[in-house]
Amino acid sequence: MSPKAKGRKRGRSVLYHAVTLAGACVMVYPLVWMILSSFKESGDIFQTAAQLIPSTFTLENYKNGWQGFAGYDFGIFFKNSFVIAGISTVGAVISSAVIGFGFARCQFPLKGLWFACMLVSMMLPFQMIMIPQYILFNKMKWVGTYLPIIVPQFFGQGFFIFLNVQFIKGIPKDLDEAAKMDGCSLYGIFWRIILPLIKPSLVTSAIFSFMWRWDDFLSALIYLNDPLTYPVSYALKMFSDPTVGSDWGAMFAMAALSLIPIFLIFVTMQKYLVEGIASTGIKG
Amino acid sequence: MKKRILTAVLASCILTTAISSMAFASGGEEKVTLSFCWWGNQTRNDLTKKAVDLYMEQNPNVEIKVEFTDWTGYWDKLSTMAAGGNLPDIMQQDASYLNSYQSSGQLANLTEFIDSGVIDTSKINASVIDSSTIDGKCYGISSGVTALMMDYDKAIVEEAGVTIPDQMTFDEFYDISAEIYEKTGAMTYFDGGLNTLRYLSRANGTNLYDEINAGDSTSVAEHFALVDKFAKAEFAITPELLAEKNPYVVETKPINDGTTWNDFSFCNQFISISSTAGRELEMTMYPMPEEMEAQPMYLQPAAFLSIAETSENKEEAAKFIDWFINSIECNEILMAERGIPVNSEVSEAIKPNADEVFQKVFDYVAAVSEVAESVDPLEPEGRAEVDALCNTTVENLRYGDITVEEATDSFMTEAKRILDEAAK
Amino acid sequence: MRILNKEKVAGYVFILPFLIGFFAFLALPMALSFGFSFTRYNILESPVWIGLENYVTMLTQDSKFWKVLGVTLYYVVFSVPLRLIMALAVALLLVKNTKLSGLYRALYYLPSIMGSSVAVAILWKRMFASDGVINTLLQSIGIPCEISWLGRSDTAIWVLILLAVWQFGSSMLIFLSGLKQIPVNLYEAAILDGANAVQKFFRITLPMLTPSIFFNLINQLITGFMTFTQSYIITQGGPRDSTRFYAVYMYQNSFTYNKLGYGCAMAWFMILLIGLVTLILFKTQKRWVYYESEG
Repeated sequence: MSPKAKGRKRGRSVLYHAVTLAGACVMVYPLVWMILSSFKESGDIFQTAAQLIPSTFTLENYKNGWQGFAGYDFGIFFKNSFVIAGISTVGAVISSAVIGFGFARCQFPLKGLWFACMLVSMMLPFQMIMIPQYILFNKMKWVGTYLPIIVPQFFGQGFFIFLNVQFIKGIPKDLDEAAKMDGCSLYGIFWRIILPLIKPSLVTSAIFSFMWRWDDFLSALIYLNDPLTYPVSYALKMFSDPTVGSDWGAMFAMAALSLIPIFLIFVTMQKYLVEGIASTGIKG
Repeated sequence: MKKRILTAVLASCILTTAISSMAFASGGEEKVTLSFCWWGNQTRNDLTKKAVDLYMEQNPNVEIKVEFTDWTGYWDKLSTMAAGGNLPDIMQQDASYLNSYQSSGQLANLTEFIDSGVIDTSKINASVIDSSTIDGKCYGISSGVTALMMDYDKAIVEEAGVTIPDQMTFDEFYDISAEIYEKTGAMTYFDGGLNTLRYLSRANGTNLYDEINAGDSTSVAEHFALVDKFAKAEFAITPELLAEKNPYVVETKPINDGTTWNDFSFCNQFISISSTAGRELEMTMYPMPEEMEAQPMYLQPAAFLSIAETSENKEEAAKFIDWFINSIECNEILMAERGIPVNSEVSEAIKPNADEVFQKVFDYVAAVSEVAESVDPLEPEGRAEVDALCNTTVENLRYGDITVEEATDSFMTEAKRILDEAAK
Repeated sequence: MRILNKEKVAGYVFILPFLIGFFAFLALPMALSFGFSFTRYNILESPVWIGLENYVTMLTQDSKFWKVLGVTLYYVVFSVPLRLIMALAVALLLVKNTKLSGLYRALYYLPSIMGSSVAVAILWKRMFASDGVINTLLQSIGIPCEISWLGRSDTAIWVLILLAVWQFGSSMLIFLSGLKQIPVNLYEAAILDGANAVQKFFRITLPMLTPSIFFNLINQLITGFMTFTQSYIITQGGPRDSTRFYAVYMYQNSFTYNKLGYGCAMAWFMILLIGLVTLILFKTQKRWVYYESEG
């Protein structure tokens, strides 16, 4: 490579990083603001909202917030969230991959109908089926446990099924054909050929599933009735009360902590998502 | 194979018993388990749980399972539980929802417990019990009263050199607003919401919903004329700023940053508004019309405790409510966080423990109770939609989309339709 | 055992979990909510059958219904394409592997992690206030601007659209994993043919990415139509209902006004609408979506 070309390349690289970083600043500003606000005096958050750096740093919000409510501290809520989001994610990712393969690679009667049912289930807001579903789970004596929140995840989630379908359809059939010649069954094709190839969509599903289950408070609100079982997302709501007043400082502090797990999941998972892409030779 | 099925059946049996036995986990001999559900923030959750613990200590035969959530979630959850026939034994209720829960037969009649002396109401003003009485039966005991107020920024008012009377007329309010704007530049907010409208009806000696049903638009016309007058004045906060600084949310109220010098709310919010604004605030009664049939101020009982009709331990629940309302020991823990206690002795006893800002609320409620007329009957079903209609109409009026007459006409017809529909 | 290997049977074996879950947990509640749409149901009392009344009221008498539908369509039409373009652009920017790419991806994904938390709502309101950062910025580059962005009915919706565009993370992630799936040899062949970057993008990247684009489009349309929280916590539907979304009005009817029957009617009308759009997209799929397996 000539020195001139090298220089041009370096210039391009500097430009790339400058642009990307500038964009990143705009993206993270709200988070930085939130984190810094959580160190302000609770009453100051609204008064000094325009000011990014707190005039006095205090850990009071973290101390108050962590205590939680009525003797149930955030340690309990975090543990519950990990249980709910963790188990749900395992269930949703595995089942959705299996179901996705069925829709993408097999021909069977009524396939269109079932696929449509799956899409409709994505279009129905939870609030609209919340009441009949509550009655159903109440009859099954599941209310008050995690079962109504976790178990349905093991039967596939529309969004992830559809995502896997799109991915599997993008994989050439030659591989299947070759395996079939070798006497491999459809189950073998799924297990040995397709599953390793759809790793990106599995990872994406896992990231989303964990995040959505972590943030979901509506099903916790409806189905749980012992504060000992509340997840973080639900507990966060309780810092604010429009009738008597809210503790924004504590809410910000705990909301900031509750982002850490989803952030860590993303950071560890995204490596698998794009690893080795350099070898594909796509250039900017 | 058979063995395996047997194991599976056994396992599922164990699982179901385990789940169903959770409700009776601590099945001692005569132990009664009650569930108690409320909405609130951290302070309320902590204090209420402490009070509940004290009760359980004093009554070892009772176990109370607590459940708490935020305001919005609470009503979603409660209606869902009601649909499943699963309401908690004791639930916190609000004046705006009590009617629907009562009319659908979800709430237990408390009058029998009052008559039998389980719930002692001798130290409670009769109007408090009346406020939650429907057809001679009481369905909830208020755990604290509140009242409408106009709060204002002390410093701005002093700077302008005006004095705010205990209760001014709307004309006086208009003149004071003009003077404050001239001297300090602070704008004025006028609450056009349903509370003000109902208040005006009271001043006319009637009830808003009776007026709507009878097609009488006197108070409604008066209300929209006032809103219009205060919106067109030079000192009025613009509708754009009002959309930006929503006065119905404590954290965004325009008084917080001194955009306006005044604000309207219920006095149980005074403490949180003061601490959000971070400045010293004062409060005065809602302004009144120049001529009126009756004093429109009233004490609003709030945070009712009700018992579910489906409860299997109504008597024990009633005993707890009695303690919650009447015990000084309990209210020393609760510290009037739900509003000024309805039991006069309790209120006297805990007042000295309250801080300076809180003292103002005690004094204000005492002042209002001297002039207050009895509270309106519970609002009918459909009130939430009428409330939203009122807000939309007022917004359109402020932006100048419609005239006062149009506002009055459209509100009257729409509100009538909503109430008729809801009464079906 | 051989029967299990037949494609028709195997297909059902694979989707069996879905079928079980669907019939056990979803079918009945869905059917009930469809049933409720023909009743007057305030949740606390038993539903009363009123036939098509809810649908008739909705379509012929409720002026707010058409208003919120219009607002929602406007929002979807602008926010979905803008969000997808943004997501694709950033995905292309970040697909490049440098030492910092992991960090960059995390930073660009952060707004989506924050979701619609209260902090975002508060900050967003502050930024677009009359005396907020946005106006100050505009003034500093010489544009005299004192617009109350959230106070005007024509600009408030754009504040929400911008928020949606800013939270492009989930679509970006799917584009990133879609880019990963493109076979390397295609690019190698193109380089041999002497294709430049632009040609490579339009001849290889874009066509190979169509399954991801299709997925994101459908998914964002559904999400867009169901948008709720942003309007609920930032603008409360105002000013003058200019940001009252369909889902917000549906929720209000169901739970604030206690008209769950009416809310269900609105929900099923929405499903019909999104369903139609989705169906059309699926029909046109053959023309523009390229699946390697069907190649």
